[in-house]
Amino acid sequence: MREDTPSVFPNGERASPGTMLTFPQSKDGGRARLVTIFGSLGPHGARWVHYVCDVGNPAYSEIVLPADGPLQSIAREVPAAAWHERELHDQYGIQIVGHPDLRPLVFHDNWPDGVYPMIDRVDDVPWSKREYRFLQVQGEGIAEVAVGPVHAGIIEPGHFRFSVVGDTILHLELRHFYTHKGTEKLFEGKSVEDGTMLAESVSGDNCFAHAVCYTQAVENACGIDVPSRATAVRLIGLEYERLVCHISDIGGLCTDVGFSVAAAYATRLKEFLLQASVQCCGTRYWRGVAVPGGLRFDFDPGRTAEFAQAVARASRDFSKIARMILETPSIQNRFETAGVLGREAAQDLAVVGPVARASGIDLDVRRDHPYGGYGNHRIEVPVTHYGDVMARARIRIAEAAASAQLIQDAAKSLPDGSVFIPVTSQGDIQGFSAVESPRGELCYWVEARGGRVTRCHIKSPSFQNWPAMPLTVAGNIIADFPLINKSFNLSYSGCDR
Amino acid sequence: MIGDVIERSLRQRSSLIPVEALLGNCDGSRMPEIVMDRLTPDIAQKLIEVCPTSALRMEEHEGRRRLRLSYGQCIGCGKCGEAGQGAVAVATHFTRCGVTKEQTVRLWDIDSRAEMTPLASSPEEARGQIHSLLQRALNVRQLDAGSCNGCEAEIAALTNPYYDLERFGIHFVASPKHADMLLVTGPVTRNMAEAIKATYEAIPAPKLVVAVGACGCSGGIFAGSHAIVGAVDAVIPVDGYVPGCPPTPAMLVTGILEVLRRRIAK
Repeated sequence: MREDTPSVFPNGERASPGTMLTFPQSKDGGRARLVTIFGSLGPHGARWVHYVCDVGNPAYSEIVLPADGPLQSIAREVPAAAWHERELHDQYGIQIVGHPDLRPLVFHDNWPDGVYPMIDRVDDVPWSKREYRFLQVQGEGIAEVAVGPVHAGIIEPGHFRFSVVGDTILHLELRHFYTHKGTEKLFEGKSVEDGTMLAESVSGDNCFAHAVCYTQAVENACGIDVPSRATAVRLIGLEYERLVCHISDIGGLCTDVGFSVAAAYATRLKEFLLQASVQCCGTRYWRGVAVPGGLRFDFDPGRTAEFAQAVARASRDFSKIARMILETPSIQNRFETAGVLGREAAQDLAVVGPVARASGIDLDVRRDHPYGGYGNHRIEVPVTHYGDVMARARIRIAEAAASAQLIQDAAKSLPDGSVFIPVTSQGDIQGFSAVESPRGELCYWVEARGGRVTRCHIKSPSFQNWPAMPLTVAGNIIADFPLINKSFNLSYSGCDR
Repeated sequence: MIGDVIERSLRQRSSLIPVEALLGNCDGSRMPEIVMDRLTPDIAQKLIEVCPTSALRMEEHEGRRRLRLSYGQCIGCGKCGEAGQGAVAVATHFTRCGVTKEQTVRLWDIDSRAEMTPLASSPEEARGQIHSLLQRALNVRQLDAGSCNGCEAEIAALTNPYYDLERFGIHFVASPKHADMLLVTGPVTRNMAEAIKATYEAIPAPKLVVAVGACGCSGGIFAGSHAIVGAVDAVIPVDGYVPGCPPTPAMLVTGILEVLRRRIAK
């Protein structure tokens, strides 16, 4: 973390065991927004717990508590902390006192009790058989519907346990982490450069946001400024990823309500953009482009200009499709009032990204904590307060148009010069970075020693937003669940890591 | 409004890519190709040092040194291209899709700069047989064993108007009980292992399994993690491998058709 960031308990200073966390206030007097909670290891295996909060533009604030004893849960006051604390328990074996629900989150029935990957040896973990108890909803006429982990489509695995009366959902419980790959642990020992490739494989459709966020954390740790040509190209890539994701999401929403014409159009526009990207830089999803210090290769000015033209064309076509979608009465009928996430619940769970903005929370890392090339651009942040599927669709449509415009602006004024500056990371370094990925605020905290990563924490927007989704389906019919879920568009792999 | 859009679509040129242009196409995949004239022992040494997934390795065979490139492990990061001083280019053509595990590996004798492995199958051969393949129907069930969703995005693209997999009589189905082929992505995580086996069991025989992507073929960048069991073939039998991180839709088409071709040729 940069030196100008305030730290209530600076690294090295130990508060006495059992100290209660005093949650910081934001600049407007309310409670600061929780960004992430994660553990790290100090000398001699001492465990530390880091709380990162957003106290308002421009700083993020970090509080570090020692975890040599049990830790007091903050989940009752700050519900957004609930999953973070469960993960701390699973990964670091930290006892959490007063947590409302400490069932295993990351590891399933096959994982033995008392094995904590971040502190124990895990080369040969035996297979076990534990029992996981779902919440039971009891009463006359209540049935359980279990869905997943294998779903009926080309999508990722996760488990949904519905309690229904007839068609109406009373309660939905999630069970995720089927795609947990131990990614944070795998970073340990990787060279700082090779960490980028692991970051690219955390959530495939947001791989460039992950790559840029990771490399920025390393660059912040080393205190280097990336050449402006590289940050401009990164901005183009980040906005391209947002545009592709949003077009794909809108198409997915249309698929889920059987509006095939618009859905097919969206897949066609997405593919058109992916192929334009291959012409520009040889990759569809911008893998292998970002590297700590800048870019792996320079971008040809002519091809970048052609790419920007392709983006403009796709954006024009998309706005026509979007208008058609929004003006179709049967679409309005399905999208409006489905899956409402109220502002209060959204705030309690500290949701981020388009989901937050559709529920009246005015939040965008690009504007609030500018990074890379974003300081040079005016970022329009669409916000609406309805919190339903339609609101989330409208936010994405508005953002897609803004992203296309940002790509035009950046491509027009691409600075000259190099795209890479060597990174020297030999000493002990720590760095933090936040990026507005298509799904919202994404953070990386990287610690390295002698050019090798010793700890990398990933806070993905999906991890933060998943707990909010089940709240919105209660009272809806089960047939609307796929639509509501799609309108959140959360990554399973990004959440599970 | 919808009338305008349909009218517009009718006026637009079809975006469908002909099958001949798909087979062997790997644009955008960043798969490496060794340029033999430029390969020296020193460069080969450099290549194996920079490769983050050990896709490039050196091995001894009857007293001679061989460079081994396992495409199933390659994530197309481009580091070998940077370090290779011209000895590694980006492949413009790639047919090792839907092949056996052995055929995803290429070997070069470093001293004589000769390739020791034959081409998996020639595109001409595949093209010649394509029409016999197209008279059939195939139901495919996609299964995510722990993927990052990159492969899912590319598999989903197979149904868009550019690739339109349905033209080959190939459909994605919702239930494994309706499937002939299982398309499995990702390293198999501990938490998914049981579900993968159950899904495989649910498919009626004869069943075809295709491991998709570097993770599915070898564990890819996640190989060695405590939270994964391994590649797809660590859990269920696999008939064909499609390398890539992720494989492009064209590579997926090539791979699916190649697995079918091999099955029919048997």
